Amino acid sequence: MLFNSLTFVVFFALVMGGYWTLRSWNARKNLLLVASYVFYGAWNPPFALLLFATTALDFWLGARIAAAPAGSRKAWLVASVTANLSMLGFFKYGNFLLENTKWLLAQAGVTYAPPHLDLFLPIGISFYTFHSLSYTLDVYRGTTQPTRSLRDFLLAVSFFPQLVAGPIVRAADFLPQCDAPPTPLKNRLQWGLFLMSLGLFQKVVLADTLLAPIADNVFGHPSPVLTLDAWMGVFAFSGQIFCDFSGYSTCAIGAALCLGFHLKDNFLFPFAAVGFSDFWKRWHISLSTFLRDYLYIPLGGNRVGAIRASVNLLIVMFLGGLWHGAAWTYVVWGLFHGLCLVVEHFFRLMTKGAAWKETLPVQLALCLVTYLFVCIAWVFFRATDFPSAAMLLGAMAGQIPVGQAILSGREILQVALVIHILWIAQWRLRHTTLEAAIARQPVWLVGAAWTLMLGAIILTQGSGNAFIYFQF
Amino acid sequence: MHSSTSNFDFQRPIPALPWRSLLLTTLLLTALGTLGWEIWARAHGYVPSLNDTPDLWADWREKVRPDSIVIIGDSRAIFDMDLNELEKGLGQRPIQLAMPGSCAYPVLENLANDPTFHGTILCSIVPGMWMAPPPAPPYLNGLKGLNRYHKRTLSQRAGHHIGMFLEKRLAFLNEEDLTLSQLLLRISVPNRANSYLPPALPPYFSTMDADRRTWMADACAQPGPLQDRVKFGWLPLFTPPPFPDYTPKEVLEGMARMVEARFGQTADAVKKIHERGGKIVFIRFPNSGELQKLEDLGTPRAGIWTRLMQETGAPNIYYSDHPELIFDCPEWSHLSAPDSVEFTKRLVPYLQQALGK
Repeated sequence: MLFNSLTFVVFFALVMGGYWTLRSWNARKNLLLVASYVFYGAWNPPFALLLFATTALDFWLGARIAAAPAGSRKAWLVASVTANLSMLGFFKYGNFLLENTKWLLAQAGVTYAPPHLDLFLPIGISFYTFHSLSYTLDVYRGTTQPTRSLRDFLLAVSFFPQLVAGPIVRAADFLPQCDAPPTPLKNRLQWGLFLMSLGLFQKVVLADTLLAPIADNVFGHPSPVLTLDAWMGVFAFSGQIFCDFSGYSTCAIGAALCLGFHLKDNFLFPFAAVGFSDFWKRWHISLSTFLRDYLYIPLGGNRVGAIRASVNLLIVMFLGGLWHGAAWTYVVWGLFHGLCLVVEHFFRLMTKGAAWKETLPVQLALCLVTYLFVCIAWVFFRATDFPSAAMLLGAMAGQIPVGQAILSGREILQVALVIHILWIAQWRLRHTTLEAAIARQPVWLVGAAWTLMLGAIILTQGSGNAFIYFQF
Repeated sequence: MHSSTSNFDFQRPIPALPWRSLLLTTLLLTALGTLGWEIWARAHGYVPSLNDTPDLWADWREKVRPDSIVIIGDSRAIFDMDLNELEKGLGQRPIQLAMPGSCAYPVLENLANDPTFHGTILCSIVPGMWMAPPPAPPYLNGLKGLNRYHKRTLSQRAGHHIGMFLEKRLAFLNEEDLTLSQLLLRISVPNRANSYLPPALPPYFSTMDADRRTWMADACAQPGPLQDRVKFGWLPLFTPPPFPDYTPKEVLEGMARMVEARFGQTADAVKKIHERGGKIVFIRFPNSGELQKLEDLGTPRAGIWTRLMQETGAPNIYYSDHPELIFDCPEWSHLSAPDSVEFTKRLVPYLQQALGK
């Protein structure tokens, strides 16, 4: 079920009505659990069984980790990590592994024709695997105690607002909220609805209507395009993926808030990032902190010397790229970010204490440079293969003299306007939060903006696409 | 009950604004704005009508039974054939599976590969569309309904039924003309010289029933600005695109191979249907004016049509072979609502003959 669907509007109204009518906290949680499985099963009912099985396994393994003597705790953790990653690997990377094995053997002169596994990728498997895995990892690390309630843990992993496209909510952040009913909080429902409106506006108006057709046109064009068209297509995709994914997260946060649950921010104005490390503090924060806490720091983080820390960064970004999809283009996207992080690390070391770095013109210039490099990286993320990526990068660099002008004047203007507005707004908000910024606005302006957003959503007539991050 | 650690004390802040009155005002203004938009739409000739979505198509594909009569093809099959008249003449109400702007070959292939199907297919052919290779837009249009039919989720089914409930009541829910993306197209901004841009689709000019029977709007059937916009909208769509300055040779060769292969693919599909006892009739519907000249020039009858009929060996009806089937299309491509009923009445005897009834 998509947030931007009429089905979800009816579903959410029914869940909200039932949830706030019920008096018992246990009954409310039961309702949410059933609703979450209905939400997920509405795509493909058998996958709800897979979700249940993996969650129940981690619940059991979490208890085993906590109860085991120190010597055998690690074995139970390995069992959990192996089970989760095997399932993810089978569904998401099975064909990728077979194809690459075939290629490697061919290099050695061995002919191998693997069967193509006709697998359906369970929606959101990368997200709920990490939701669930965070629990056993935290129990092992001793930062959380195992829950005795299977129902609460099932709800923590499957809670429908964040189930299929994040944010990646750690069980340790969700389970405590299951202990007691939400405390009364004035205007929680209205603010939650505002956030849902904002998220839907980002998704169906900005991403799907204003930017996606242009990005799709440029990335899907079979022959080279002009330099201007290439850059506009890439800028359009940078805005599309931000509005798409950030829109989903904002909807999820708003929907959870309407039900009395608090989810942390997943995006903090990433267009305003100054440098790549700043970018990853602002972009898909729940993934970057997950990788930092469960992978980068256990590898030694930056406490092991500059060279080793750089290698750690590259390993993390390699896996971060692969998490997004079973294709080498995603890996290159991740490694590109990793390399930029390494270069930035050394740049910071060389310019440590330099006051000029902090001046406004330099910060602005660094922000622009960061944005441009992030855009170049998006080419690998969005392109279907390396030849397409190379063709587009060639066009962006002005190296293809025979490109075509495929964008209309209106489309160019549209991208330029939306990206400028996004960029300026995020730059101005970079040191604050959405809540603080809205609190400073006059009431009439907030009301007018809300009305315009709802009006624009109605005008789109529900013709939006699935969220990009569902496929991950 | 004991649960996990309870050290999570994060609470999202809520901006200090009068949210209750803000919500009520916003809902009121949005409702008023929507009402105003609905009034504007009706005042400009729009009426509540179903949108021809892939979901609606998939609904009807699911209703195909082994012995059904199925209509496939492009928009001419939707506009020009009246289901009531066909039901009277053929003894069974056909299922309308034609799709505007589409190459119907993928649908023919789907029916040919359906081992249970041994019914009758009435197939409209517009040669330029029938031969469209992937990824040309007509071919992709032909796949839209099929993709939904194969991969429809429970959520999409539910959303479709809620959508139909609203579309039957609200005129502004018009996907062809009144979505935000369509409204943006009305903004006129100069294009660069030598831009390689696809032609715009013609505006809204029809209504659709729940069984996908489509009727031309009166405003389009009468001479006037809407009719002119539709008429002249067809010409660039039926004009072959100029080859761009640079298209990889292998792309061009691949497309040429796919076009050539379509003859054999069609013949194979027809053979499969015949082998199961099914029947198929190919039909060329009327066109008029400048569009007729353009189509005759670009895809003359002696070319694609004749070869397709020879290779498939299927019965066929070419409207201009029968004087009583020659009608004037007000916007050059489709028949007006009353003419479509009359045309179907006159077509039925030829269909009965072709089907051996």
